[in-house]
Amino acid sequence: MQEDATTLAYLNLHAVLGAIENLTALVPAARRLATTAKPVSVGFAVRGGPAGTLAFDQGLATFRPGAQGCDVKLPFSSPAKLNAMVDGKGTAIPSRGLTKISFLTKQFVPLTGLLEQYLRPAPEALADPEFFKASTEVMFYVIAAALSQVANHDQVGRFSADHTVDGDIDFGVAGGPRATIRVRGHRFETVKEPCASPRAVMEFESLGLARQLFDGEVVALACIGTGQIAMRGMISMLDNLNRILDRVAVYLG
Amino acid sequence: MGLNTYTKSSEAFARALGVIPGGIYGHQGPAEGCYIPSEAFPRFSARAEGTYFWDLDGNRFVDYMCGYGPNVLGYGDKDVNAAALDQLKIEDCVTIPSVKMIEFAELLVDTVACADWAFFCKNGGDTTTLAIMTARAHTRRKKVVFVNGYYHGVAMWAQKLDYPGVLPEDVANNLYVGWNDIPGLERVLAQNDGEVAAFISTPYMHGNFVDNELPAPGYWHKVRELCDKHGVVLIIDDVRAGFRLDLAGSDHHYGFKADLICFCKAIANGWNVSALCGQEHLKSTVAGLTYTGSYWMSAVPFAAGIACLEKLKAIGGPEEFAAKGLAVTGKLREAAADAGFNLVVSGEPALFYLRLADDDSLMLHQEWVAECVKRGVFLTNHHNHFINHALTDKDIDFTAEVAAEAFQAVRERHPL
Repeated sequence: MQEDATTLAYLNLHAVLGAIENLTALVPAARRLATTAKPVSVGFAVRGGPAGTLAFDQGLATFRPGAQGCDVKLPFSSPAKLNAMVDGKGTAIPSRGLTKISFLTKQFVPLTGLLEQYLRPAPEALADPEFFKASTEVMFYVIAAALSQVANHDQVGRFSADHTVDGDIDFGVAGGPRATIRVRGHRFETVKEPCASPRAVMEFESLGLARQLFDGEVVALACIGTGQIAMRGMISMLDNLNRILDRVAVYLG
Repeated sequence: MGLNTYTKSSEAFARALGVIPGGIYGHQGPAEGCYIPSEAFPRFSARAEGTYFWDLDGNRFVDYMCGYGPNVLGYGDKDVNAAALDQLKIEDCVTIPSVKMIEFAELLVDTVACADWAFFCKNGGDTTTLAIMTARAHTRRKKVVFVNGYYHGVAMWAQKLDYPGVLPEDVANNLYVGWNDIPGLERVLAQNDGEVAAFISTPYMHGNFVDNELPAPGYWHKVRELCDKHGVVLIIDDVRAGFRLDLAGSDHHYGFKADLICFCKAIANGWNVSALCGQEHLKSTVAGLTYTGSYWMSAVPFAAGIACLEKLKAIGGPEEFAAKGLAVTGKLREAAADAGFNLVVSGEPALFYLRLADDDSLMLHQEWVAECVKRGVFLTNHHNHFINHALTDKDIDFTAEVAAEAFQAVRERHPL
């Protein structure tokens, strides 16, 4: 089944643009680009789709759902319009905060360009271990956040979510980034923090393996067999998570 | 008690990864088989006899999975194998079938309460697919009602919407209800009146990762009544439980009569044959279907099946399995309690399901199962188990000893 525009918009906003918070935390160049004299927040409001805000303060970004109270508001008349902007095929005109236009053009747009470099890296760039690590970690957070958006909005993802029991899943890379996938009443929420009390654990043995999985070079099921992916706990949750992960690949592919 | 090591198994698995997708695919693979942690489990067997198998490293296991069901009399049962090998000397896969096919069908019709005929295939999934085709052809309807948590094989109709390679169209006619949920079934049948071809279910809920559930009092009588009212074919998938609960079929065990019943696993003690049996009114429909396979009329598995069912009758198989299941689970529960754990046993004793209820994540349970496997008792942490005739009291005592030591190992890591 193909992706749908609304789910893609949720994924683009929460997972892709939302990863700017991880980019600024991990990459000094991103922090420099995100530095402003005063805190500034950019809201995204999609008719018939998601809303979210990226807030910038002292070079670090944080993402939150909802576009209320933002300094600059970017309205989109449809999910497809947001998707076009993220895909570099469209632009957005602020409906509020016109005085912050220079932040958008001189800082935010270059920041999204930098994000793209880390999410779609040139093969030669990955030869640099520092870049490889940051790129893979940012990608990890994109996928972790995308899991919840696909589970909550995609038709096939919803089917998997409907069969997932409540609990927290510890989703992470050994010695690397970790996230909590929280399931309550068949709704998923990604918290970009280690899981305190997991009901299930899915752990990649290394960032290298995570990269291979994200790039579609290896398959999770085979890696479970070889022990490169460790799983334990409520395996039915991970079974469903793996199916949603497959759907994430359809959207991010 | 020494702990197993798996050097040769690991080497073989590495070799397998080069030429077999996933190394070992499907339910016997480390992913679907929930080998947690991976290193606690053997990958390849070297030989099997009675209730044991030995892996490549020479480790012996008391096997409570029984090949996921087929081993019902003991690996290499002499009577069954003698019948099969005698038949092999005569003929097996020939241009026209052997009369062994008729003999086996007659035995099933005489044995299985709802059976007026038998149709042979190879795997359980062949029979569930045939049952669905029969129901659709007979009723000229499309939809099928499933019970949540179901597994009826891997044919496209039996897959789920979110499985890789499955199209929405493949499962578009699938409807779902909960186990023991009569109001839910009434609602689904009423909402789809005149459109439902079949209700397919296992005789009791023996799904994975959850405590297995028996039918509530009156459940099956009400299901039968609803199927009759709505003209729906009642299919019992007895692939897993068949001949372990009742030689007359698990529908007979629970006091009702299925229209169609699917058998495999315990039917021939590991020789590859399966059977769909059914009532007279569906016989001509089945005769009109295009459904066959190259090996479906081979005589050797028929001879094995005849010998297997006759031996199960002679030994009173189901009664023995229930008694042994109660004995082993009773001892496992005692061992758990001695270490301060609460081991929940569910389902039918002949196919018992285990779960340590001291956490809600199954992590403790997975640790305990791994410790048992490392000490030579093959259990799984996600699936029901199986009893076979070759299991002795001594094996049960050994199992209890291993279980106690395994509980102790887990307790040391998780002190009270």
